[in-house]
Amino acid sequence: MGDISWVNIIWAGIMVFFIIRLWPNAKQWIKHGPKGDSNDWTTFIVLIGGVGLFIAFLIYSVRG
Amino acid sequence: MEIRSIQQTGVVESNKVLKNTYMLLSMTLLFSALMAGVSMVLAVPPMFSMVSSIAAIALIWFVLPRTEESSAGIGVVFAITGLLGFGLGPMLSMYLALPNGPQLIATAMGGTGVIFLGLSGYALVSRKDFTFLGGFLMVGLLVAFGAMILNIFLQIPAMHLALSAAIIVIMSGFILFDTSRIVNGGETNYVRATISLYLNIYNIFVSLLQILGIMGSDE
Repeated sequence: MGDISWVNIIWAGIMVFFIIRLWPNAKQWIKHGPKGDSNDWTTFIVLIGGVGLFIAFLIYSVRG
Repeated sequence: MEIRSIQQTGVVESNKVLKNTYMLLSMTLLFSALMAGVSMVLAVPPMFSMVSSIAAIALIWFVLPRTEESSAGIGVVFAITGLLGFGLGPMLSMYLALPNGPQLIATAMGGTGVIFLGLSGYALVSRKDFTFLGGFLMVGLLVAFGAMILNIFLQIPAMHLALSAAIIVIMSGFILFDTSRIVNGGETNYVRATISLYLNIYNIFVSLLQILGIMGSDE
């Protein structure tokens, strides 16, 4: 473990607060949200794959 | 005939929300950049970054829901984005001090712009419904927060890198989700829509800058 300052503890507290606040919303979306078919998920994966490739290109460009 | 008229009204309404959202988003991004510049010129200590971020989170959770239906909501949006921009100052100053710092910041900024315009543009042109991502993105966000808490105590650099990548994936999904909600009439409040899209852009920029900062150095 590294050095744990009180700043880190405040951030951890904020994250816990985030989780508590978002949990009911997440549960609602999982239970009652619309479900996508395989075509929808394929589109999403292709788009995210494009983002991944683009980021790889950016890393390559800054490394020169 | 009547159904067609109702559909047209719906399209006009969602186009209006979209136009107002993009307009407010562009203004808040400029304001945010200005506040980041002010913060850098004043050389505020990193502690201010945390204080302004906490103030912005408090505004998002406790003030925005009460004001989003009125014109006061626009002022709150500027306050939130201004605080978040101001909070970025110390981090940007730190990156600028690196030998390739200006290049890293410019690349992260341009990269964020391309990712946002590409994904939001796709959702806009295709009019595809991405609300099916809601559950997945919410759970992803909660898992990411859990892992962040863990890494605050473990402080593993590889986990930090993986989390930054995960945040980019989640926020990219949220861009598709939020834009499709506006286009398909699921979101009718442009104040709320602006904050959602702003937070997506903000988080992608910060995570991308961290990834480029780690991967872009030879150390």
